[in-house]
Amino acid sequence: MEQATPTLEELHKLVQMSGTINMEIFYWWCIALMVIIHAGFLSYEIGASRLKNVLTAGVKNILAFAFIVPTFFFFGWFIYNGFAAGFTLDMDAAAASLPWSGAMGPNVEDNATGIFWGAFALFAATTASIMSGALIERTRMSAFIILAIILGSAVWILGAAWSWHPSGWLTTEWGFHDVGAAGCVHTIAGFFTLGVVMNVGARIGRFNADGSANPIVGHSMPMSVIGLMLVIVGFFGFLGGCIIYNVGGQWTNIYGQPTNLSAFAFNTLMGFAGGLIGAYLTTREPFWMMSGGLIGIISVAPGLDVYYPPLAYVIGMGVAAAAPLVHKFLVKRQIDDAVGAFAVHGFGGFAGIVISGIFLAGYPNMAEGVPPVNFLGQAGGAVVLALLGFIPGYLISLAMKQAGFLRVPAHAEERGLDLTEVPAEAYPEWALTGASTTYISTDSGSSATVVVAEVKAI
Amino acid sequence: MSSPISSWEGASSVYTYADKPAVLAVILLVAVAVTVVAIWATIRHEKHSYNSPMTKK
Repeated sequence: MEQATPTLEELHKLVQMSGTINMEIFYWWCIALMVIIHAGFLSYEIGASRLKNVLTAGVKNILAFAFIVPTFFFFGWFIYNGFAAGFTLDMDAAAASLPWSGAMGPNVEDNATGIFWGAFALFAATTASIMSGALIERTRMSAFIILAIILGSAVWILGAAWSWHPSGWLTTEWGFHDVGAAGCVHTIAGFFTLGVVMNVGARIGRFNADGSANPIVGHSMPMSVIGLMLVIVGFFGFLGGCIIYNVGGQWTNIYGQPTNLSAFAFNTLMGFAGGLIGAYLTTREPFWMMSGGLIGIISVAPGLDVYYPPLAYVIGMGVAAAAPLVHKFLVKRQIDDAVGAFAVHGFGGFAGIVISGIFLAGYPNMAEGVPPVNFLGQAGGAVVLALLGFIPGYLISLAMKQAGFLRVPAHAEERGLDLTEVPAEAYPEWALTGASTTYISTDSGSSATVVVAEVKAI
Repeated sequence: MSSPISSWEGASSVYTYADKPAVLAVILLVAVAVTVVAIWATIRHEKHSYNSPMTKK
């Protein structure tokens, strides 16, 4: 039986559709890998919490993810597409991102919107998770949820519209270049977090009246260290989501400049390794070493597409070596960032962008009239993004503080938030140490098992 | 009918009620409302927990 020979047009359609589906598959797995970032943050924060607060830390982290996804659907994606020029809305560009648009749901002719929205929703949830760890053990769950929504579904994505978008004003006006989102994700989240931490205040017992600090050690450093390694695994999905799969053409970065995953592989791994060693040199301990690996990746993220790999290694090492000192500087000022989120993400992102201004200067941008990458554009962009994070974080949390809405009452903090508000037990065998178990009624009417004991702070 | 199509031929947006803007508006408003209610429920749970005699012991 004779087979019909396909026409050139049919073959072209076949190749196009194969490419389109491969593109979807690529981002689908990037999204899955980014979920691992949240598994990592979950483990990391639980480990960094004392025994009396472990479940609350977990609930907080899970809820950040849960509230970001719908709110990013309601308005986050619209902000990204509508505010590339600044605070002025471009309705033509944003119309397809309105939550009732034909593109914002199953559409058999649109293979791109949902998968890109999904990847960006996961970036958004990552920003909220960055803040989450810094606030453990004394922040009200409801206040955290509201702050997470503001950071994850509004503030960072506005920064992304400005700096991580082909039409973003920081790029078109200043030549800004940040392929791995060191600015819009890490710098903004870190500085937003700093503003909130300043208002939420230190955990009870963290500082003495003379200003000296007491260590508050989490209940499981191994759990935190494994969590940080999971965050690193998830970062390969995050960085995969930072590159554009062009069907039938070469990969580009988000600004349209040609690049490829090979470039990202060189510099991500070299920055990671440099960061591990840099933090080891200044701390000798695994929590900061793993944080250092993360700092190494974040600090080279602006130039993952063009750095010479040994340069990425040296940058990652230097910034990661300095970050623990930044954390110590905050502690001296009685700022209690429980996991060093500002030093890792705020400082790591900011320093990485400023350093990139030295080494990326002269790389051309794509559109006509757009200046090439330059030091002032990079440094200025870093300052803009830091302020975009810090100002709303500080002012909104200040308003919450003044309304008595930001922090849990002292008696609940001292007793432990798990006993106070979570109807479950993290480590039931703990009761063998002298605690007893009883049942209380929750506000929803269900009964809950609670360990009743005088819980000593660990 | 929740289906916006009667045939897959030439279909694009196929999500439920895609052809009924008023219904979409109602569903979207409900989704926003339940999100707000969830935050309110969290605040209520916190108040209850902080004021519980068990907690104040």
